[in-house]
Amino acid sequence: MIISIGCDHIVTEIKDHVKQYLIDLGHSVIDVGTYDKIRTHYPIYGKLAAERVATKEADVGIIFCGTAIGITVAASKIKGVRAAVVKDVQTAKYAKKTLNANVIGMGGRVCGIGLIEHIIDEFLNAHYQETEENKKLIQQIDEMVKEDYSQDKGFFDEYLARWEQGDYKDES
Amino acid sequence: MTKKIFIGSDVDGLEFKNHIKAFLYQKGYSVNDLTENIKADFVTSSNLVAKAVLKHGGQGILIDEYGMGSFMVANRHKGIICAALSDEHSARMTREHNNTSIITLGSGVVGKRIAEQIVMRFVTSDYAGGRHQIRIDMLNKLC
Repeated sequence: MIISIGCDHIVTEIKDHVKQYLIDLGHSVIDVGTYDKIRTHYPIYGKLAAERVATKEADVGIIFCGTAIGITVAASKIKGVRAAVVKDVQTAKYAKKTLNANVIGMGGRVCGIGLIEHIIDEFLNAHYQETEENKKLIQQIDEMVKEDYSQDKGFFDEYLARWEQGDYKDES
Repeated sequence: MTKKIFIGSDVDGLEFKNHIKAFLYQKGYSVNDLTENIKADFVTSSNLVAKAVLKHGGQGILIDEYGMGSFMVANRHKGIICAALSDEHSARMTREHNNTSIITLGSGVVGKRIAEQIVMRFVTSDYAGGRHQIRIDMLNKLC
């Protein structure tokens, strides 16, 4: 399979570990970043990894942040993507079998490496099992997003410019 | 307490929803149950709660068997940040860092005692703002 992977700066080392794990399993990996521990913003990488799946460049996406929630919310807002937050094997299998999930997010500060690898194994081995009910639910989820932002390379630039200007300071 | 809490579930999550609702009442919260008299699927229940939170503010709680269908649907609403939860740490972090307005619980995934702890952290934690706001602005520019 071709698998897109992404993360924020909190869990880069876990994404890097998973990248090698997937390569060792014989998969091809598209690593959208981030690539270091310099503070950045999870929506950038959730969007990028999910869009590779939406455009069919990747079969599935696997993404990480501290709890998985922020980055998976970003992915779940992308047209063509059905993203699930998982921290157990059964939920990952359900998400694939019933909702045909094409992206999963895991929390690098919530799940250990053993569980992460186990979830990936079973998610990649699971197959969507179409029923009339599932098909209708999935169609309704898919139809909720009309816009495709994948060609807009400067989609988040306005916020990054404000970040540089110091508009997003923590209160001290 | 004046905090608005909207709750909804599909048929699979009905009994679990009633438990969480009773728990919140007992803690002194008022809860608006949007699927009280209907047999909803998770698309319907999630749309009802997401629209109510967007219109009235406050927080939402969604329940289906795994919490994943509700997560997918709620996040399709522009301006909604919805977290699927099964542990207390994620509940606290997502409210503080992600400004989460809706959470989902899987009635087949999480037990009632843990679910109560998750719900309490969700309704009592506050969004931290500051550096986290750039990520929220980015999410809200998406759908």
